[in-house]
Amino acid sequence: MFEILKNKEVGPDIFYLVLKCDELSEQPKPGQFFNVKISRKLSTDPLLRRPFSVFDFDEDQNILELVYRKVGRGTEILSKYKAGEKLDVIGPLGNPFSTEKRSGLIHLVGGGMGIVPLHYLARTLEKGEKKVFLGAENSDELEFFTKRFKKMNVEIHRAAMTEKMEIKGSVLVLWMNYLDQEKPLFVYTCGPEKMLSAVEKECLKSSIQGQLSIERRMGCGIGVCLSCSCETTEGNKRSCVDGPVFTLGEVVLNA
Amino acid sequence: MPEKNASEKFDLSIDLAGLKLKNPLITASGTCGNGKELDNYFDINKLGAFTLKGITVSPRKGNKSPRIAETPSGIINSIGLENPGIDQFIKKTIPEIAEYRLPFFCNISGYSEAEFLELAEKLCGRKEIAGVEVNLSCPNIEGGGLAFGTDPKTVYSITKKVRKIYDKLLIVKLTPNITDITEIAEAAESGGADCVSMINTISAMKIDIDKQKPLLGSLTGGLSGPAIRPAAVKMVYDTFKKINIPIIGIGGIRNGKDVIEFMLAGASAAGIGTINMIEADAALRIIGEIKDYLKKHNIKRLSSLIGKVHI
Ligand SMILES: Cc1cc2nc3c(=O)[nH]c(=O)nc-3n(C[C@H](O)[C@H](O)[C@H](O)COP(=O)(O)OP(=O)(O)OC[C@H]3O[C@@H](n4cnc5c(N)ncnc54)[C@H](O)[C@@H]3O)c2cc1C
Ligand SMILES: Cc1cc2nc3c(=O)[nH]c(=O)nc-3n(C[C@H](O)[C@H](O)[C@H](O)COP(=O)(O)O)c2cc1C
Ligand code: FES
Repeated sequence: MFEILKNKEVGPDIFYLVLKCDELSEQPKPGQFFNVKISRKLSTDPLLRRPFSVFDFDEDQNILELVYRKVGRGTEILSKYKAGEKLDVIGPLGNPFSTEKRSGLIHLVGGGMGIVPLHYLARTLEKGEKKVFLGAENSDELEFFTKRFKKMNVEIHRAAMTEKMEIKGSVLVLWMNYLDQEKPLFVYTCGPEKMLSAVEKECLKSSIQGQLSIERRMGCGIGVCLSCSCETTEGNKRSCVDGPVFTLGEVVLNA
Repeated sequence: MPEKNASEKFDLSIDLAGLKLKNPLITASGTCGNGKELDNYFDINKLGAFTLKGITVSPRKGNKSPRIAETPSGIINSIGLENPGIDQFIKKTIPEIAEYRLPFFCNISGYSEAEFLELAEKLCGRKEIAGVEVNLSCPNIEGGGLAFGTDPKTVYSITKKVRKIYDKLLIVKLTPNITDITEIAEAAESGGADCVSMINTISAMKIDIDKQKPLLGSLTGGLSGPAIRPAAVKMVYDTFKKINIPIIGIGGIRNGKDVIEFMLAGASAAGIGTINMIEADAALRIIGEIKDYLKKHNIKRLSSLIGKVHI
């Protein structure tokens, strides 16, 4: 059980959840996720755990940071938990992003809550030139993320659908403007599957390597139920244990 | 945790048609992987037995996603029997389970009678497998597409033929999607089954009211979890009156009390399914809770509870 240190709204329906987790079996890596039991002790409703990506992790104090959007019943109940209460959480789970040292420009492209895992990734990646492209409905949704990315040595570019930031429109369009002028060595992306599919297509076209993280509905998160199966070039894989991070071109995406 | 009550004065062992289990907990097929996934969380040798993920003759990719939906205290799944096929299963999975020391059951699904027989034949003589569980929830393609488990004659026929070629424990798994499940249980018994397991998931669906479309990729699926337990208990209760072979009670078990409830209704053992997906090591807690119950009621032998509500 992890103690909640903070669970507060940091944007429209966006919550920042900080947990003190002393009994972790291993240190989480970027791209991994935690599976949170929303129902209280003896209750079975909501029944399934909810997966959330690591937003940040402090290895000295064992403090885990998650950021989630209130979208349904589970996250609504989660948003009512208070500091001092405990949560039943398992993790870290899943296959992380590769963080090997690369000497060259790196792009990180995140849409909506897909930005979350890219934050811990950007912090973990070794020094070197990094550009992060963030997209959301409006600037309020990006405020918290922007503040946190500004603490790092990365160049930030932002797009919103309903108002002009760097552009008005999707992060995909914004990113492609840059792709016209420069060729990154590696691209990491997370967000809606349509966006992933478009990013993947552009990268493959220009022979740019990269990784994506997908969000499939999960049952168990530990590889026992095959709810999260996705079709890949090497047959079906489970996105909870073989993913959620895959190489660009590996997964058949629902575009 | 459970071990604090682990005093040996309680006898949790169960006799399943001649196969002795150290306790009544058997993982339910499809909710527990093939052993090693749960073994990351606890020593699976502590289970009574383990039922492996359902296999078919040919490899299957399974259904379109989403394959899972949540409902009040339940889930609806439509995995679609994704599996690598029997040959790959024999090559890869069987060597992997050989390292454990507990009985493994193979859950087999066919789309024709011949497929059930082929599966049973290929598993015959495998020392790593203690028994076969015949899953009757699949559609009978040649017989019009209804599930095999909805027709007593078909169930009798398949059971009898599998019985002829398979000499170890033969379990027939019953579908609840039928008017009278006891008729099917009787057919399995007459066909020579050693025991029946019940229930499989209950046919169900969920509609995404925002998209105004069915939520699951394959439109409908099967309901499991605590939501189905009372229905499953009643079916075990009814079936116990009709047959003389042991029943493995399955459906929504979360804790020791639920296991006791199934046993009182007539189950000799308990299949745990959906709970494994939420709490990987639930079995350990449940074993502890069964002991707590025995202690509270001053009962020495768990098996003395089987079918007790009928007396
Ligand atoms: C690997 C992974 C990492 C994720 N990381 C984050 C994150 O960092 N921040 C964040 O806000 N969200 C994240 N999500 C999505 C998040 O899990 C869902 O938004 C959340 O489960 C919704 O729960 P709910 O009860 O509020 O919604 P409901 O719609 O009521 O949930 C019903 C069921 O659908 C599932 N579900 C609903 N939406 C999604 C979705 N988009 N993806 C997967 N399952 C879904 C739920 O888990 C639940 O089982 C992640 C999903 C995955 C698979
Ligand atoms: C994800 C999932 C996959 C399943 N796969 C199988 C299967 O392959 N073969 C089978 O006979 N039953 C399968 N079942 C049914 C379970 O074994 C069990 O009978 C049912 O879920 C009811 O028990 P529960 O409520 O404890 O989960 C599956 C159930 C779930 C939830
Ligand atoms: S969610 Fe169960 S196998 Fe991935």
